[in-house]
Parts: sequence; C-alpha cells; structure tokens
Amino acid sequence: MEKDEEFDHATAKLDSDEEGDELAQDWSQMAKVTVSQNVIPKRGEKDFEPDGTNVQELMLFRAKKAMFDSLSGAIRGSVVKNLVKAYYVPEKHMAVVPHPKGTFMHTMGRVDSSGCCWLEVYEFVYLAERGTVTPYWQNSGREDDEFDVPLSVEDTYSLFKSQSELDEFFVYAHLKRLGFIVSSINQNVPHWSSYLEVSSITGEQRVYRYFTSLFRLIPTIPHFSIYDPYHFYFRRYTSSGQIYRSLNLLIPSYSAPRTVQELCNENADSYQETTDLKAWKISFNVWKPRTNFRKKSPGLPDFQIVVYNKNESGSSFPTYPEIRNIFQRLNYQFDFLTDGNMNDVQVANKIPQLNNEYKITKKEDESPRTKENKKNCKTYPPHIQQLRRLKKGYRSFVLAVMDDGLISFVRLSESDFGSENVWYEPNAFTKKSSKSQRPKRRPKKRSEKTPE
Amino acid sequence: MSKYLSNSKRYKYPLPIHPLDNLPQLLPHNPVSWLYWLYCYISSTNLLAKKIDIEVTNGHRITVPGEEDMLYLWNNGFFGTARLSRSEPTWKARTLARLGIDESFNALEKVTEKRRHQRLAFKKERRKFEAIRLDLRKKGVLESEILDKERQFLRELRDQELILDSEDYQVREEDDELLLNDGIVNLEVLELMPVEAIFLTFALPVLRPSVAEIAELLLGPKPTYTEIHNLITQYVAYHHYRSHGWCVRSGIKFGCEYLLYKRGPPFQHAEFAVMVLDYKDTPDYTWYSGIARVIGGAKKSLILCYVEPLLQKEEIMSLWDQKDFEQVFASHRVGEILYRRWVPGKNRD
Repeated sequence: MEKDEEFDHATAKLDSDEEGDELAQDWSQMAKVTVSQNVIPKRGEKDFEPDGTNVQELMLFRAKKAMFDSLSGAIRGSVVKNLVKAYYVPEKHMAVVPHPKGTFMHTMGRVDSSGCCWLEVYEFVYLAERGTVTPYWQNSGREDDEFDVPLSVEDTYSLFKSQSELDEFFVYAHLKRLGFIVSSINQNVPHWSSYLEVSSITGEQRVYRYFTSLFRLIPTIPHFSIYDPYHFYFRRYTSSGQIYRSLNLLIPSYSAPRTVQELCNENADSYQETTDLKAWKISFNVWKPRTNFRKKSPGLPDFQIVVYNKNESGSSFPTYPEIRNIFQRLNYQFDFLTDGNMNDVQVANKIPQLNNEYKITKKEDESPRTKENKKNCKTYPPHIQQLRRLKKGYRSFVLAVMDDGLISFVRLSESDFGSENVWYEPNAFTKKSSKSQRPKRRPKKRSEKTPE
Repeated sequence: MSKYLSNSKRYKYPLPIHPLDNLPQLLPHNPVSWLYWLYCYISSTNLLAKKIDIEVTNGHRITVPGEEDMLYLWNNGFFGTARLSRSEPTWKARTLARLGIDESFNALEKVTEKRRHQRLAFKKERRKFEAIRLDLRKKGVLESEILDKERQFLRELRDQELILDSEDYQVREEDDELLLNDGIVNLEVLELMPVEAIFLTFALPVLRPSVAEIAELLLGPKPTYTEIHNLITQYVAYHHYRSHGWCVRSGIKFGCEYLLYKRGPPFQHAEFAVMVLDYKDTPDYTWYSGIARVIGGAKKSLILCYVEPLLQKEEIMSLWDQKDFEQVFASHRVGEILYRRWVPGKNRD
C-alpha cells in the first residue's frame, strides 16, 4: 500500500498517543552548556533487577549529578538597572507596571493611556517567577516607593482567588515557557469577523432556514423502506453502493460545518437550543511562536484552550452538548477553511490543471505561514483526502486537564463520519482515470498483508 | 482443500446481500435485449437462497454452526468471530493441516505461532548474552566495551536469519475422536456480536429469526429501559458506521467498542477505534486517557461516538413494545468527537 505510506508520512507530524512522544529533557546536554565537563552517555535500556554490580547506581548518580551541576553551576541574578517594578492592585485584581520596559511587552499586558502596563495576575506571577519584574503590593493611595511591600514568590501565589485561577496560571506558564504566545480571550471580538464579509442574515434566509430545520425534524424515511420484510421482493439492487445508500438514511448524524456559510447558519441556530447548559470558559488564545506578533493586531490564534481540573468536585469531563457548545464559540484559524486540501470544491478545480496529481501548487499569498501552506498544498488522491478529513476533523479545541499540578493536553475535534462514504467500488478508479487523461500508471500489486 | 483465491475475488462483496451484477448488457437499439434484461431483472433477487440458521448458547450468545454459513458471513462483510480461531473460521483447515490430511493451508495463526517461536528464540539468546555481560561487569570491563559487544551481538543475531522448521504434523491422542470417514468433525462455531445479529436480521434479511426474536433472545421477555437503551445505543453506532461502508468489528482487544476497517481486516489495518457513549456520559478523565493510550499505542485514532435519543423515554419504550425498530433506531442521532493527545512540543511550528 504505497499510497498509505505516503499518507502516513504526511500526517506524521500529527499528535499521537504513543509513549515515544514525550519530549524528555536531557540534562547532560544542559550541563555541557553551563559547565564544561565530561559528557554522560545517553542512557540505554534499563536493567530490570539488580545484577550485583554498581553499574546502574553509577549511571543514576552521574545523571543526577549532571542535573545538579547544571543548576548549581550557572550564574544567576538580574541586573539592578534593568529591574522593572510591578505593583499588585488589590482593588482591580490586576498588576500595574508604571515604567514598563523589556521584551515581555511584545506579547503581554495592556498599556493604558497614561503609559502604564496592566498585567493579569497570572502574567504578573509568571513574570515575577522568571525574575523579569519585581513584585510589590501597592498600598492604596500612596505613590512613593518606600512604603511598598515587596512580595515573595510564595506571596504572589496567594494572590490567586480560586483553584481555577491557579489552574489557568499553570497552563499559561507551561505554554509560555514552551515559547507559545498566550493571551486571554477578549470577549469583545465578534465571532467570524475575520471570515465573513456579509455577516447579517436576511429575513428571506431566515425563513428558508426555518423551513429546512422543520424538515430536518421529520425523519427522512422512505415509505417502503429497506427494513420491511417484503422489501427485497420488490426492489432489486444492482450494486453494493445502492444497498449502502438505502441503509445509511436511517441514522441521523450531526454534520460538521465546513464552510463559512455553514458556520454562520449553525451559529444562528444554536442560540435557541442552548438553555441550561454549562458554558465552559475558553481561557486562552494560543499562537505558535513567531517573531512578527503584534499585540494590537494579533490575528486569529492557532489554538484555543479550555482548562479543566479533574479533581475539582462538581466538575466532570465535558459532555457532548457541552463540547458542541464550546465548538460554536470557537474563533481561531480554522485550517479546514484555509487548507485547500480540506475543501473539495477547491481541489476539484485544481486537479484538471495538473498533469501530475502529486505536484505541489504554489500560493500567491505571502502570509507568515506560506511555508506551511506549501507543505499542505500537495494534492492527494480523493481517498487519501477523505482519510485526512476524517483523521483531522473540523473545529477543535485543546482541553488542558489539570491533575494535582500535572497538565495533560487533549485535542477534541469534531469529526464527521456521517458525510463520508467509504465502501469500496471496484470500478470507480478505472472510470475516472479513463475520463481525465492522466498518464497511465502501472496497477500496483496489492501486497498480501496479515494485519492483526 | 481450496485453490488459492485472491483477496479481491474472495471478499468481492462487502455485505452478505449481493447486488445483481450479472444482468445482461442492455443495448438501447435492440428491444429484445430490453425484454431479456427485464426478464433477468424480475426473475433474479437479492435475497439469499436460504437464510442462515443460528443457535443460542450460554444464554445470550448467538452463534452460527453451519460450516459454509460461517465462511459465508466471514467472506461477505467479515461478520462474527470464530470460537477456536483468531477471527476467521480456520480451525478445521488448520487441524487438517496439522494432522497431515490436507497441507495446502497456511493460516494466519500459523504465522503468529512462527513469530512467537522466533521471539522466544531471541529471548533465549539474549539471556545468554546477559549472563556474559554480567560476567564482564564483575570483571570490571569498561561500559563502552560492553556496549560494543552488545551491538555486535545484536548484529550477529540479525544476520543469522532464524529459520524455524517447526513440526507440521503433531498428532495427539485425542485426535482419534475427531476423525470421520473422510475428514474431521467440525467443532468450531462463529459467534456474532449482538449488534451484528440485529444488523443481519433488521437491516439485511440474512439470519432466519426475526428482529423481535433476536431482541428477545438478547434482552429477555421484559427488558428494562436501561437494557433497551444500552442495546439501542450500541446498535445505532454500529449501523451508522456499517451503512457508510466501514467494516465494523469488535474492538475488545483494544479496550474499545468497535474497530473500523476500510474494506476489511485482510486489506488494511483498522484506522479508527470507536468508543460509544451516551451523549450525557462523562466518565472520569483517567478513563479517556487510559483508552487513548492503548489506542494510540496501536496507531489508531480514537473516536468518541455519542448517541443522543431524540424522543422521550416513554415514547421509545412504546415504540419498542410495538416492535417498530425502524422508528426506534431512526430516533437516535449520532455525533462524533475525535480525541487526540495534544503535545505542545510537536505543535510549535
């Protein structure tokens, strides 16, 4: 199955749940940077039981020492001249930096008209922990420095008012340390503003939608259905596809919106149905690390994060209606809208122009992620595209699960098996290839596999 | 026993109800061909010549005893699991091969056995080497030297292709009881999942009993709503994937409900693993993460398939009592969520 290997290659970058995915820290490399010393060989397979020698203990000792040395040997401290003072303001539950300077300003905080930079508490604690700002407690009414109370890191942690604030901080700090650009969701940003030119829906459309939704309520069952015991005495099927088609009318399924129009329609519909549903807070917008990020016009984020503490009583993993509710409130860079591969229409238009279906198409736009676009722009044969759609899903969000300070991330995407048919049609491929005159390829010999 | 049959021929039909694909050619300019075509169309049928009999064992287990029926269900849609084989009913053929009566057969189970032998042989070799290594360590040989030796050992092991000539004929004492005049007794039966049995009666007329009979076999005469609800949830998910062309098989070996194969197990590995949930279910996070780890380890994608009833409990109960299964199943909606671990380090660029 050559094609599948190709597909595997294309999706190799996707996340998986394999053990090997953990990116372990190798402290021996770190030690090399800080203090010059002998390099410890990378640790190999573990021995399962003591073998009477001290080889294992020696290796463990060396690894520990590397870790210790790299931490103890490094010179730490900050330059007094560069110290930035930040004050926690209890009334606002925020922190203010009166004389802001430093690179953190590119991605964090909000500057008001007087030139002060306002930080959220999690930003404040994060920066204090890193030593970028020196944390103080602001005495109300006083502006002179002498009476300000300096805070320890421990003190700053006590500023969080609830477990969920603390959890958000952990997630924030974790992602920041990995280099992501993280900001809280500005609730004022209108949905779909970036995709939609005409966002208002005309009355005519509304009536139309009303009627179609009415029809949707009535189950679409033919009067003389395949499930009738006498059905097969009257009806003849001449292909397996026909049988499948009459079978798959039975179970209705949620279909994922794939275009801007469908997204809009769904959003307009949804506001009526969500009544007593727990509306999960979408906590953060996350951008991949980039240099040309601007706070004023950040563009749409790459991911959106919902934080969930698994040990908190009264909260449980989101149910399906709750997940759908989150989907409807998402507003990030949907790659199924921009990615040519995900959109059938675009691809269908492209294919005839190409004499080779594996050719890479060029895109005109010079967005910061052109490189990535180019990678994605490879056009694949339809069945691979279908598999990509199924494996990638449509709208998605990242659920950060907190478990006693441990964070694990889960990506939940909406998938749509109800709109894809995968039955095998023996003649489908040959018919197509004879119509569009593609260079003939030698039929591949199907290798006899013995899958589990 | 049988000549070699290519997979595309053997598994030509994805469902046990075959389409009419042997209709004569229709020539527009020749009215006689129309008539002949019409005659063929009317006289032929999609129905099976004889419906398949089932047996019920151990209370609720639905099995197919007929030797040909078992193979038919396997070849046309990969239904059921054979009791004495991995999935495909091969016990008889394997036993014939083992007894030396018919040697043309090479079952998957044999391949598995061979691999197991190889693994065992490897472990034996490794144990030998570990003893040597311990010896070296005690003598105080440098770790790097030992590492070199280890590499060398592994290389040697790879080079000497482990060819195993396992004994083909292993006749046991009790085999006498199996023998008949020409061949052996068939001990194997094919077990159907409850949902498969419903699909093969409700959706396609393949098994002899009616849906109502199957439902009563599975749930007893007076089932509670929870029992009905659970069965419906399972079936609705099964029907949903089956009817969109997937080959759906039990996912018990990976701790999930179903595995979705494209075409079927001999063609491709399963791409997706499905966990069926009620739309309001929220198990503990550990449950999700545990399943996702197992599925991820097998390089499959985990699908959470949520089933939502569109009618009230009482309405469904009354429809069920009226045996209007079509309405019952049609009044459930399916939604899917793709569950995947997100690794920040892999999503940075």
